[in-house]
Amino acid sequence: MAEPIDEAMVVAWVDGELPATEAARIEQAVAADPLLRELADTHRAMRARFAAAFGPIANEPVTLPSADLILFAEARAKRLRRLWVPAAIAASLVVGLFIGQIGQPTGVRDRADALALAAPLAHALDTQLSGEAGRVRVALSFRAQDGAYCRSFTAAHLGGVACRTGDGWSLRYAARGTTQRGAYTQAGDDPARASAIAAMIAGEPLDAAGERTARARGWR
Amino acid sequence: MDAFETALVRLLPRLRRFAHGLTRDAADADDLTQRAAERALKARGQWQPGTNFDAWAYRILRNLWIDTARHRQRRDKVIAPAEQAENVGGPGEAEAAAERLFLMRAMDRLPDEQREAVALVMIEGLSYAEAAQVVEVPEGTLTSRLVRGRQALTRLLSGGE
Repeated sequence: MAEPIDEAMVVAWVDGELPATEAARIEQAVAADPLLRELADTHRAMRARFAAAFGPIANEPVTLPSADLILFAEARAKRLRRLWVPAAIAASLVVGLFIGQIGQPTGVRDRADALALAAPLAHALDTQLSGEAGRVRVALSFRAQDGAYCRSFTAAHLGGVACRTGDGWSLRYAARGTTQRGAYTQAGDDPARASAIAAMIAGEPLDAAGERTARARGWR
Repeated sequence: MDAFETALVRLLPRLRRFAHGLTRDAADADDLTQRAAERALKARGQWQPGTNFDAWAYRILRNLWIDTARHRQRRDKVIAPAEQAENVGGPGEAEAAAERLFLMRAMDRLPDEQREAVALVMIEGLSYAEAAQVVEVPEGTLTSRLVRGRQALTRLLSGGE
């Protein structure tokens, strides 16, 4: 006679893990023994309960993390900041600014508010969490070494890093938007931007909870 | 997106579900999923085509959680879980979230190794062999953890201690 049936075997049977002959043997035993049947029913019901409770989570969409986060981590790992302009200077500089079309006299003017972002962009930076879909996509939020909150973003024609100063957002780094790819295109793919972030950042990028807190405080 | 990214994007919702089972907290689960995806993208050179991609990605998330949990224990976490309300959407969603929370509280009481076995098999629906691959233990070890976890849950969910 085969070995006696224990709970582990009943569980394996419920989970469909047994080869056919073994499964048939357990099935017969369970049919003949009310205690084994109760055990099998308990395990089957519990498995179904967990599957039903957690199953819907797998229907919720999840996006890949932004390229900024990955490039930023790489940039920092390579200690690029050592090659960078000292942070205090970098924070006040605009690196690689390419707005407007070459040859047209519509460039950035030499004014105090010249690099303040227009309302729709500023609104997106005020309200959107990183990774949310929209005409503007925010990729990453962090605190700069001067204490300001900064966020990297990609819009239709412009991608960059802006920091909260006074009443609005001002550009600290910008580059002309690159060609659009699939829906999951990671914002940017711009190593220079990641290096700029690595030079400006104090500590770690904000996680989702940190972003919500900062947003609730108006990024101040 | 290339084949690797496509496979990862396809798996992300399930990784996030597994993260709910491990962390028992919706905000922690989102955070862990994002970090695991980052790590998978960075470590893509280490994945060997032809081997089980899902098990590889689950393993990354699981190992990341072990590091996180260990780190947190040192900090002695006393903060009450904040965002347990989750997203309350369509009809029945509030009940579903409450049920999930109830099961997560029961899973809080399991030792880590039993909890991850339960999450991989009962929540993720992995076979014993796949689950053992994720945790990197022999299949017999995985099944005995699973059975002990289920026995404990049976007691917890039936109101006993």
